[in-house]
Amino acid sequence: MRKMLALMTGGGTLFGGASLAHANGWNMPVGVTDLSAEIYTLHMTIFWICVVIGIVVFGVMFYSLFKFRRSKGAKSAHFHENTTVEVIWTAVPLLILVGMAVPATATLQKMYDASDAELDVMITGQQWRWRYEYLGEDVAFNSNMSTPRAQITGEEERGEHYLLEVDEPLVLPINRKVRFLLTADDVIHSWWVPDFAVKQDTIPGFINENWVRINEPGIYRGQCAELCGMDHGFMPIVVHAMEEDEFDQWLVERKEAAEAEAMGVDREWEMDELMERGEQVYGSICASCHQADGGGSPPAFPGLAGNQELIDDVDWHIDVVLNGVSGTAMPAFRSNLNPVELAAVVTYSRNAWGNDTGDAVQPAEIVELLE
Amino acid sequence: MAPKLPPHHSLQHSSTTATAGGQVHDDHDHHPQPRGIMRWLLTTNHKEIGSLYLIFSLIMFFIGGIFALVVRAELFQPGLNLINPEFFNQMTTMHGLIMVFAAVMPAFTGLANWMIPLQIGAPDMALPRLNNFSFWLLPVAFTLLLSTLLMPGGGPNFGWTFYAPLSTTYAPPSTTFFILSLHIAGVSSILGAINIVATILNMRAPGMRMMDMPLFVWTWLITAFLLIAVMPVLAGVITMMLMDINFGTSFFDAAGGGDPVLFQHLFWFFGHPEVYIMILPAFGIVSAIIPTFARKRLFGYASMVYATASIAVLSFLVWAHHMFVVGLPLAATLFFMYTTMLIAVPTGVKVFNWITTLFRGSITFEVPMLFALAFVVLFTIGGFSGLMLAIAPADFQYHDTYFVVAHFHYVLVPGAVFSIMAAVYYWLPKWTGHYPSEILGKWHFWLSVIGVNLTFFPMHFSGLAGMPRRIPDYALQFADFNLVSSLGAFLFGFSQLIFVWVIIKCVRGGVKAPAKAWDGAEDLEWSVPSPAPLHTFETPPDFKPVQH
Amino acid sequence: MWGVIKSVLAAFFGVQKERQRRHDFEHGKPGAFILVGLLMAVVFVVVIAALAIYVAG
Repeated sequence: MRKMLALMTGGGTLFGGASLAHANGWNMPVGVTDLSAEIYTLHMTIFWICVVIGIVVFGVMFYSLFKFRRSKGAKSAHFHENTTVEVIWTAVPLLILVGMAVPATATLQKMYDASDAELDVMITGQQWRWRYEYLGEDVAFNSNMSTPRAQITGEEERGEHYLLEVDEPLVLPINRKVRFLLTADDVIHSWWVPDFAVKQDTIPGFINENWVRINEPGIYRGQCAELCGMDHGFMPIVVHAMEEDEFDQWLVERKEAAEAEAMGVDREWEMDELMERGEQVYGSICASCHQADGGGSPPAFPGLAGNQELIDDVDWHIDVVLNGVSGTAMPAFRSNLNPVELAAVVTYSRNAWGNDTGDAVQPAEIVELLE
Repeated sequence: MAPKLPPHHSLQHSSTTATAGGQVHDDHDHHPQPRGIMRWLLTTNHKEIGSLYLIFSLIMFFIGGIFALVVRAELFQPGLNLINPEFFNQMTTMHGLIMVFAAVMPAFTGLANWMIPLQIGAPDMALPRLNNFSFWLLPVAFTLLLSTLLMPGGGPNFGWTFYAPLSTTYAPPSTTFFILSLHIAGVSSILGAINIVATILNMRAPGMRMMDMPLFVWTWLITAFLLIAVMPVLAGVITMMLMDINFGTSFFDAAGGGDPVLFQHLFWFFGHPEVYIMILPAFGIVSAIIPTFARKRLFGYASMVYATASIAVLSFLVWAHHMFVVGLPLAATLFFMYTTMLIAVPTGVKVFNWITTLFRGSITFEVPMLFALAFVVLFTIGGFSGLMLAIAPADFQYHDTYFVVAHFHYVLVPGAVFSIMAAVYYWLPKWTGHYPSEILGKWHFWLSVIGVNLTFFPMHFSGLAGMPRRIPDYALQFADFNLVSSLGAFLFGFSQLIFVWVIIKCVRGGVKAPAKAWDGAEDLEWSVPSPAPLHTFETPPDFKPVQH
Repeated sequence: MWGVIKSVLAAFFGVQKERQRRHDFEHGKPGAFILVGLLMAVVFVVVIAALAIYVAG
């Protein structure tokens, strides 16, 4: 079987050229973990069992339809009921099923064993993005779809990874057992990367567990698999699997960057800095609902450009961003964004698109409010 | 056994003569009958109510079909081309709800109304006024449901499975109306089921034992018990939603100590038997048609009854196979995987029985037979993908992809829907007194078969390749499959206009059908004239059990 | 009693000799079959659950 697998994936590489992942576009991927390959084997086994049964059953059926046509003078026989035949056609499927259940059970046992993980990643589903948190490492970030709106509406040519590209991919090491802890902030989502054969619902109030050990470095793509509202189709998953030392280096850099940002909380920020940072945060977090031009899509998502309530009341504005508005789609961002990002995005939306209030909200003010 | 007849059915026809076969000739009916719309509003006659159900379900089939075509039109090419994602979600949701609750289920109830009394030699349903009420609840329920599309915030947009909290905390304001409409439809189903059970158990012709009943009657008896068992569960779960939305409870809201997974357990405890509710009567229909056109008795009548009962019992033990990725404990996953795999055994028995019935028969290919044969082949393909989905580890890959969409459309469209069409072609001569047009019927059949396979077969591939369900736009590698699916869907959809044409033509005229319209047909309905008079079997027929 | 259990088992498996079925329908009490059927259904669930729990460790 292993040999066959190697052969098939080899063939895939030959024709597909690039990664094994989407070697063929019409079957389940073999994937890049031991378990995904095992599941692929189960899938092909049950598929061929069905094909064989199908050939036998439909063979007899079409033979009968051809042979026993009245137009060819067939006279109907009068037999019915035969205990031996009935026992056989009940017992044989039963045995086939038992034969199938044994390997399926063994695979399931492995899938459920998330013990001895070397790295824990918390995955949180939100309408409509993913948040990744490397537990115990102080590294966390949001991952949003980065396909431009113009490609979706067809004003721009669609790229190779249309709808399957993000601003910040999840980065994982190969050859290490990584445990995922999955939850959601709002509705149920489902985190799915076909090449890992990992699909797990993220459920508000629950923490699910799953795991992966990736065998090959590469970029792997997936999508949210559970209907989660308007932009369900637009919350892709991208995983960048790196060599172990490369990953360690990446993690150190991210940690340093996070520390630098934490240091930045205490200093006074210039307007330009806040605006630059704020535009970036707005683009990745806010624009999916309130639109890049601040126009929103009322009534569900109010416009921010020229919004008098927002322009008049900076405290209200900060409160909405920090704590959300209950009963609406506006979530609380107090734990999703750090103080610098919060200050920057508020400053940005108070000064962009002609709002021009001149307010520069400082990270220190936000820290005070968060306490 | 003294069937209670509704007042205006009482045996007072002065000039009524009953023949030995139980046929009744109504030469002069002196009863003042309400005319026009009132006749249909007030009717308690099982045949008229059966026709109402069937016409209603046909209309709803087209409405649900239009929603499906809106979805397929949007998915014809990548990109958001015609509708926005919000409306797309409303369309997928409404398509599912309308097809399940307003098209397939009422169609089977309509067939049951028409045919069960005729097949067991009863003069009418046991509870005729209740029968009228069950039907007229449906237009109310679904007018209400369709009207939500026009309400502020739009109609239901959370999928036909309406998982909480998307369908509670995050739902549009119209959700309360959605809940009310499902309640009304549920009451209708329960009342209909009670009526069918009462009819079958109490009103069989003297001498007809349970094991003498035609299989359509058997499968409907078991289906009716399933309905009575699970519709209250649906009513319970939507009431809990209602409370969460309007009265501040937290059954499904984690923030208030509730459990979103509880919703799924309750929903699928209803939902899995529900899918068998939509397929068991189909088994009954096919088990009537294949022996007729093979001119040979069904190979294993008793084992068909056993298999139907086994499927019904097992249907209560498999619900969590819809939930393999919600994070069930390993033992639960194993339990539901094993029970689900077991369902393949009785289902296989049924297919084997149909095929052995064909073996050494004397087969002709009239339109009902064509649909029944297509049912056997295509339903079995849906069964195979079901078996694949039962393998829990593989289901982690299949779950919530187009592979699942392909699977359940194979069992529901060329499964349930084809069986309904087969039944209509099979019994139209009895209903109208005319044969449906063979030529048009064959056009309808072949275009439908091609359309259905073009639509749903590529979905296996797009699902395996990684396309999730319920997305309004997709990555470029899925474009070819979706293009074919959309073309197939439009072909299938527009071919159904031929079906309507056939029915209208058949009602208005055509080749006259004798009482026994098909020479291989055996059951009691073929002993009354074609078209069946309004009142039949007012004197119980003289039933001679065939050695089943 | 053993006869009833055997017939119910045959029904679970889905195959029964026509002669035995006729005998059961003509001489058996329906109540006994229904009761044993329900009990056996419970036993069936318990057996599969026990197997699943055992395999899951």
